Amino acid sequence: MDLSRIEHTFQDGLLGRSQDILRQLRGNARESAETMFAVYRNAYWSRLAEALGNDFPALKALMGDQAFDRMARAYIARHPSQHPSIRWAGRNLPAFLAAEAPYRDEPWFTDMARFDWGLAFAFDAAAAPAAGLANLAGVPPEFWGSIRLRFHPTLDAFPVSTPVDEARPRLLENAAIALDRQARCARAIMVWRVEHDVRFRAIDPLEHAALEAMQAGATFGAMCELVARQAGLDAAPARAAQILQGWLEWGAVAIVEHDELGSAA
Amino acid sequence: MNSVALPSCSHLPVASGIGLRAAHHERVATERPGIAWLEVHTENFLGGGATPALLESLRGEYAISLHGVGLSLGSAEGLDQDHLSRIAALVRRVEPAAVSDHLSWSVTGGVYFNDLLPVPYDEEALAAIARNVMRFQEAIGREVMVENPSTYLRHAQSDRAEPQFLAELCQRSGCGLLLDVNNVFVSAENHGDDARAYLAAIAPLPIGEIHLSGHHLRQIGNRSIRIDDHGSPVSDQVWALYEQALALIGPRPTLVEWDSALPPLETLLAEADKAQTRLDHAMRSTA
Repeated sequence: MDLSRIEHTFQDGLLGRSQDILRQLRGNARESAETMFAVYRNAYWSRLAEALGNDFPALKALMGDQAFDRMARAYIARHPSQHPSIRWAGRNLPAFLAAEAPYRDEPWFTDMARFDWGLAFAFDAAAAPAAGLANLAGVPPEFWGSIRLRFHPTLDAFPVSTPVDEARPRLLENAAIALDRQARCARAIMVWRVEHDVRFRAIDPLEHAALEAMQAGATFGAMCELVARQAGLDAAPARAAQILQGWLEWGAVAIVEHDELGSAA
Repeated sequence: MNSVALPSCSHLPVASGIGLRAAHHERVATERPGIAWLEVHTENFLGGGATPALLESLRGEYAISLHGVGLSLGSAEGLDQDHLSRIAALVRRVEPAAVSDHLSWSVTGGVYFNDLLPVPYDEEALAAIARNVMRFQEAIGREVMVENPSTYLRHAQSDRAEPQFLAELCQRSGCGLLLDVNNVFVSAENHGDDARAYLAAIAPLPIGEIHLSGHHLRQIGNRSIRIDDHGSPVSDQVWALYEQALALIGPRPTLVEWDSALPPLETLLAEADKAQTRLDHAMRSTA
């Protein structure tokens, strides 16, 4: 059997698709190839399940060890690792929980998985300097409407329907705490990193909509119009300015761009 | 300065080092413990984030070894070019004293097992692995070391012993060898082989680094199998085998690896001290 065939057959054995590989293997004087192959097969599942537990610590605390392990094995069967680093094995887990019964019926699971993953992603994402409020000071008032933002490359933002941002620190401190699993909310969570420090903040749906618009390239002027449609014309200027100021103060923005004198048609 | 001449695959100090894992990053970064060198798993430092920056900040004070677990040198389908490029970029950034990976495979058909799976020891595998090692070396512009794996079974079509396979791999590809003494012990015990004979066979190869770690006994049926899990102190039998290795090979940079059930940093440093005591003895013997 050639090397490529051996590796594919070994793979089939690890994934439980066939036992053909056993004919290509030797055990030893005391143990059969089947017994020794089980060492590899068990290690495959348990290593990935353990890695998922490390990357989703709050989800594991929320589900409990045994339920998490069952879920992890079902996930691995559906989404085998496709990256040389085990660190990325869990990237499809939030989507898996959102789509698969019985997990899809408990929004806490998807939300917590998304939050765990967002924090891990922010830690690993490429570093970049952050802009600050000082970057706004130099913008002439007539050009404020043209402001565009390039957000920090570590920034991730996602909607949740459960208050996972409040529950996560408590769960990590004590997995046995009683959570109100009926609690629901409408908010989004922003996650980003400043230097080596991963930060997060809960934002309301209006701010999330403003963030998504400016992430897609909208100007501050367009963001103000979006805010006005939802918050009313009177409240919009102060609310839009407050949102912009917050992002800059928190270090979630990398670059502030705006039109220059003579640049506009 | 090393008074022991190492093969050209290793620029590590001939001293003991420790494997640096995430739980110890902060303490090592702030306290700078007295240890000659640090080894990290390459795959944990390939993002653009906080971890590569940590490595850069440590490299002025410690020799750094990049030890890969994901290149899959034993893959029939060759190396993952994207992964290789990421490793090459990290090597350029960190300028490590040593670069290594394993004699094993971990991916086929796009599915990664994130494990070190055994290759058959025959001509076809030797040719494929030598090709992969040479491609690895070309990509990073330097010689690498290949580590002997822990194995729990053998391929029926293997036609040569592991030391011979490694000798031919070193000769064909120009790579060096990372000798994991715990792996030698675990494999020999599980297969019913003679670990000391293995060491004697492998001693003439260009060995640039030694690994030490713990393993555990798992009961399967009515017998125990030794499982290489890097989750406990180095066993007495492995310390004895290490002393034998030093006597046969001479002093070599020696790493204490600990991955699961990671203990406090002090425990790890104490294990490295034990290795250093034996290294010092070997240095005096060769002086």
